[in-house]
Amino acid sequence: MKCTICKKPAIIKLRHANLQLCPEHLVARVEKVVAETIRKFKMFTPEERILVAVSGGKDSLALWEVLAKLGYRADGVYLDLGIGGYSARSREYSEEFARSRGLTLHVVPVRRELGAGIDELVKIARGKPCSLCGTVKRYLLNRVALEGGYDVLATGHNLDDEAATLLGNVLRWEEGYLARQYPVLPGEGKLVRRVKPLVFLSEREIAAYCIVSGIRYIYEECPHAAGARSIVLKHVLNELEDRYPGTKLQFLRGFLKVRDRFRPPEPVELHYCPSCGMPTTSEGPCRFCRLKERVAREALRVTGNDAAA
Amino acid sequence: MPIIKHRDRIHEVEAGVDLERAIRELGIIPETVLPVREGKILPPDHRLEEGEEIELVDVISGG
Repeated sequence: MKCTICKKPAIIKLRHANLQLCPEHLVARVEKVVAETIRKFKMFTPEERILVAVSGGKDSLALWEVLAKLGYRADGVYLDLGIGGYSARSREYSEEFARSRGLTLHVVPVRRELGAGIDELVKIARGKPCSLCGTVKRYLLNRVALEGGYDVLATGHNLDDEAATLLGNVLRWEEGYLARQYPVLPGEGKLVRRVKPLVFLSEREIAAYCIVSGIRYIYEECPHAAGARSIVLKHVLNELEDRYPGTKLQFLRGFLKVRDRFRPPEPVELHYCPSCGMPTTSEGPCRFCRLKERVAREALRVTGNDAAA
Repeated sequence: MPIIKHRDRIHEVEAGVDLERAIRELGIIPETVLPVREGKILPPDHRLEEGEEIELVDVISGG
């Protein structure tokens, strides 16, 4: 198999793009697609300060690598979620990456901010792990970006993530979510702009980019993600992709063309949490502060029980 | 026999067949994995050789 571009031995076939690529041209393609996506959606300018949400996985580390290579001013933030050995290992990969490239990484332990890590929170709040974790991550990432004076928060959401989210929203006809699904979410007040520069790259080419570029990342899956709906949706999409190459890309690109037809049921009004001052969609304390209060109550209850015993 | 490792499983496969076919015969969609040997990605038309060990790295993450 030869590289479509230079005819040297190819290592990967990208059927959706009708390409066979050698390591050198795979790297070039990934960086070109990211650069074009940033430009097309006017995600940020070279002068702006970018904060990359880093998890230690392939997507966020690849994104950080590409942004740094393209000359953007990108720092990273790693949230230590407190998920047993998984968090310890993913933190190690993130720190190693930053160190080896001389990049700035902010490490924020969730336990310090919330009073509990995700493992404990899941037991206390008894909610769906991915939903609880999502709330904590969205809140803390926005706050770190805001307090650090960053213009934009960049996440490693890829084509597979976006196509799976889209399929999930379409299956339930979630008009509000469909209206908001876009590679750029503009900032407003204390809500920092969020961007997804990898949305047109498949997980497979991003993983290949990491391997070829010598980026060490965490292969293992979050223990709480087992059986998550998003994984089932991705599997269904990959079955389709295998039969009809290009399905995921066509699905997402097609949606972005008609997205304007979807409107949120009601305009979302932003309020500010009386406790932490951060933006929230409902009046009263934000969801993060409510979770924090619950964790504190649980800690008091346990201490009280210990004292009684 | 060539060996293909995927997650916690070790599969013995036929020598001489190409990698993509071997992956499909294991019931795995090639789009969901990357075949790696000694840190290098192998192309789908790679012919499996006696005694070689290949790891399939999952590329799908979620949650």
